[in-house]
Amino acid sequence: MASKAHDDEYNRIYRILNFRLPHGTKRLGLMGVILIFLVLLGSKFMGTPTLLQKDVLRSLILFFLLLASLSKDELEDEYNRQIRYHSFVIAFVVAVAYSILIPLIAIVLDLAITKIMGDGSVNFYEISAFEVLFSMLGIQLLSFETLKRLGRA
Amino acid sequence: MLNRIKIERAELNITQEDLAKKIGVSRQTINSIEKSRYVPSTILALKISDLFGKSVNEIFLLEETD
Repeated sequence: MASKAHDDEYNRIYRILNFRLPHGTKRLGLMGVILIFLVLLGSKFMGTPTLLQKDVLRSLILFFLLLASLSKDELEDEYNRQIRYHSFVIAFVVAVAYSILIPLIAIVLDLAITKIMGDGSVNFYEISAFEVLFSMLGIQLLSFETLKRLGRA
Repeated sequence: MLNRIKIERAELNITQEDLAKKIGVSRQTINSIEKSRYVPSTILALKISDLFGKSVNEIFLLEETD
């Protein structure tokens, strides 16, 4: 009985792990990201976007990056899957390291600058969720393509 | 892990692309296996050795470091 429940749970997790969107969504995701970057860039000239507009656009960027990240390759096989798992691991580790190091670097620089300038006030640089998720998804996509290129010369 | 896929392919006179199509993977996957950059799963190893009509041990060979 317990074994059946374990099997069901395993199958459910395995299905989630193997969930992939069709290959076409990769292009859609990347096009979406480029389009929103252009909108953000354009808004600089057309007047600063409101905070709400910025948040919506940032969420859309993350959504399109996620689409690209979850999409299948043209021919999805076990080697692709392994490379994808590796790229997720790389992205996770780099994003965590980034989240730890950037505020530390900012504090060190801030201390060095305030010491020179004699200001005395030190600000703690807080990383936003967008920054972490954007770097994570971006690194996943880049490392996936890089690993693919390196292994498939 | 070493393998004799390239030799077996040459004997059958088939390309990486042909082999890849026959077992349902990409040519690049076959290339990576041939160059020992990627160790295939048991299922894929069985498919490859089956295609060459040999046992897995005849196609894939353990190295001292394995």
